[in-house]
Amino acid sequence: MNESGILENQKKSYPPAKSEVAFSSNCVRLAGYDLIFVSIVALVIFCFGPGFWQRLEKFEPESDFRLPYELSNDYWLYSRYCRWAVSKCETLVIGDSVIWGHYVSQDNTLSHYLNQMIGRDGFANLGVDGIHPVALSGLLKYYGRDISGRNIVLHFNPLWMSSSKQDLQSTKEFPFNHPKLAPQFFPKIPCYRQTYSGRFSAVTERYVPVLNWASHLKITYFDNMDIPTWTLQHPFKNPARAVTLELPATSEDNQNEYVSWIEKGTPQNDFPWVKLETSIQWKFFRKSVELLTERGNNVFVLVGPFNEHMLKGRSIEIYRQIKSEIALWLKQNNIACYMAPALPSELYADASHPLDKGYAMLAKQLFESESFISRILDSSSN
Amino acid sequence: MLFHTWPFALFFIIVYPAYLALKNTRLRFPWLLASSYFFYACFNPLYLIIISYSTLVDFIVVMRMEKSTRRKMWLSISIVNNLALLGFFKYGGFVTDNINLLLSSLKIPYAIASPGILLPVGISFYIFQSMSYTIDYYRGNIARETSLIKYATFVSLFPRLMMGPIERAKNLLPQLHKPAKVSLQDVTDGISLFIVGFFKKVALADYLAMYVDKVYDAPEQFHAPALILATFLFSWQIYFDFSGYTDMARGIARMMGFRLMLNFNNPYLATGLGDFWSRWHISLSSWFRDYVYIPLGGNRKGKFNTYRNMFLTLVISGLWHGAAWTFVIWGAVHALGYSCTRELERTSFYKERVPKIAKQLFVFTFVGFAWIFFRADTINDAGVILARIFTSGLQNPYCPLLALVLIIAVWLYQFAYESRIRSILELRFVRVGIVLLIVFYLVIFAPTSDKAFIYLQF
Repeated sequence: MNESGILENQKKSYPPAKSEVAFSSNCVRLAGYDLIFVSIVALVIFCFGPGFWQRLEKFEPESDFRLPYELSNDYWLYSRYCRWAVSKCETLVIGDSVIWGHYVSQDNTLSHYLNQMIGRDGFANLGVDGIHPVALSGLLKYYGRDISGRNIVLHFNPLWMSSSKQDLQSTKEFPFNHPKLAPQFFPKIPCYRQTYSGRFSAVTERYVPVLNWASHLKITYFDNMDIPTWTLQHPFKNPARAVTLELPATSEDNQNEYVSWIEKGTPQNDFPWVKLETSIQWKFFRKSVELLTERGNNVFVLVGPFNEHMLKGRSIEIYRQIKSEIALWLKQNNIACYMAPALPSELYADASHPLDKGYAMLAKQLFESESFISRILDSSSN
Repeated sequence: MLFHTWPFALFFIIVYPAYLALKNTRLRFPWLLASSYFFYACFNPLYLIIISYSTLVDFIVVMRMEKSTRRKMWLSISIVNNLALLGFFKYGGFVTDNINLLLSSLKIPYAIASPGILLPVGISFYIFQSMSYTIDYYRGNIARETSLIKYATFVSLFPRLMMGPIERAKNLLPQLHKPAKVSLQDVTDGISLFIVGFFKKVALADYLAMYVDKVYDAPEQFHAPALILATFLFSWQIYFDFSGYTDMARGIARMMGFRLMLNFNNPYLATGLGDFWSRWHISLSSWFRDYVYIPLGGNRKGKFNTYRNMFLTLVISGLWHGAAWTFVIWGAVHALGYSCTRELERTSFYKERVPKIAKQLFVFTFVGFAWIFFRADTINDAGVILARIFTSGLQNPYCPLLALVLIIAVWLYQFAYESRIRSILELRFVRVGIVLLIVFYLVIFAPTSDKAFIYLQF
């Protein structure tokens, strides 16, 4: 083609014909009004759906109830349980598996013995098995918003400071429990690795109740899996039938573990404690104390009882030093506390979890503690 | 930064309002280009060097072509440069591996070090788009783009940068020249496209991938029913994955006032293999038709040459997909299938006597068979899958019924779309109902996914 031919051709085709590009290969094309309608309907369903669901799904905690282990990640249910507990009990006992009672049945936990001593259901077990102070801080901040104007027994387990790994300080990736509750962007948790998308998802779930409720459905009825994954494991089951509207009961199938650490033959340990001033877990525990106080709660901190019999070498000295520093901080900040002394060795299942008799003894000690009487019991009776 | 992830949502929430505010100012193109380059740099900032280099070379080549009498030489420079880029980044490892294999089979004690280069995301797509500009200019089909910033925007426009559609200069460049106009209908169309694409990717493709990956990662552990079902599911997975991406890309572009070409037109309703290729990855198929098949002679030089050209085009198209022999075989299988059926498809018997559904099922089965080579990690794996399909006997495949129900629902929808009852699908309450179901399913049931698109590796 010669030069003039090219130019001629260019003139013809530029700009091109006004033929419309095909829209799509389906009919799903919404107009403005359609989109507004869809948005309104979706908004109504998503705003009122979770509330409506609460009417359908029975949740009537009995005495000594604790959140089933299988539902530990169900923060929507935790939030619902908080609302129930705030309305029924004067004192909420909050903490990790020590409060939850990992090595005891639900009628042998600390809250059970406290209830037994006051003769009524005044203490609610809001412990979560597997939670740690960093996650607990997130749990209380985002899902425990209803906890206000109550007596709180907040437990601190020094075990979380027993190594840089437990304290989440390890720079190597380390999968820990409840990562969705940890800070996603700031402050940085050194061992936490997650894609930006995963971090945004976690943050969104905290603020959008419907997503939180969708997680509840997955955790409660689909074995903590999303539905596609669940169908791979149950290929011929109808997912709709799995939604029974009944929450699973706490399974207590680890009763053979309800024995002391001595019987298990657990060796003594020389824990590489982290320093209190650099501890991430301690920093977040302090945040939880501050948050609960800001929300008008009457906070009482219970530290330990840690199994000091299990410590060897310099570990015990360092532990006691940390314990005294914790006591000092609590005193300086006018937080009532009980620094639980070590229980008899045979009453521990491991480094931090008491057995049933240990909880009974701890409850008794608390009832003899002046600060507990004045801060918790007196205000309960008032 | 994939379309179905939160970082993209954040990116778009920032970029889009600013684009709307700047669209009728001088800052429109700088903003679009900066956004597109930022989007691309999120994958790896070094990729910017490659895309900028490719853009600059083609821009200069066409500029020189305009004033030169040696137009062919400038075109050759552009083509060689683009193919060299593609060859170096995409096929470097493949070529060295094969040379080393050859050397070792000849017992020559020498091996070339593998380049170990990372394949830049989207390189196959934007290189082809850029090449279409130089070739079309050479052919006199378009005018020269005088603004480097507009040309760079054309090459890198972020909605289509990752995986196409491979736009033609004559479609997209004029849209960049027109005054920017974003109507309410553009926005709602864009959202509609995006919702459907998002559903295809997250709820369907990623779901099917769970089963497909399990089977294809260890084919020797599965029996015939599971292998057949996994192949069937992969046929749909790749369609949902790529067409879902395309829908999202077109939706985002539409919200910005750009109309990207249709890339998928219900390919599994095709009644012949030629028809399939006019419905599957249309932007690539038509690229190969215009820039490879027709220049080779097309169907103008007798039957032998027609089949040779067709065969070459489909094999090259297979190789375009990836630097592995499995893709070459995939292209060759399609070429062979098309060669065998082309004449049959033209007979009045096939056109009039064979029921449409039989033709569609034949095409689907053939295409599904060919996907085995596409999906298998190695030729050996493909061989194992084929052998086990015929010899391993029957055993419960444990394939989720929900996945099959979803696929059948989509298939029926597509059949209805191309039938007389399409008007029912066009009813307002049906359209709105479908979108509500999709939104509900996505929010409540779908997994949070940041699984990459299959075609991102190409």
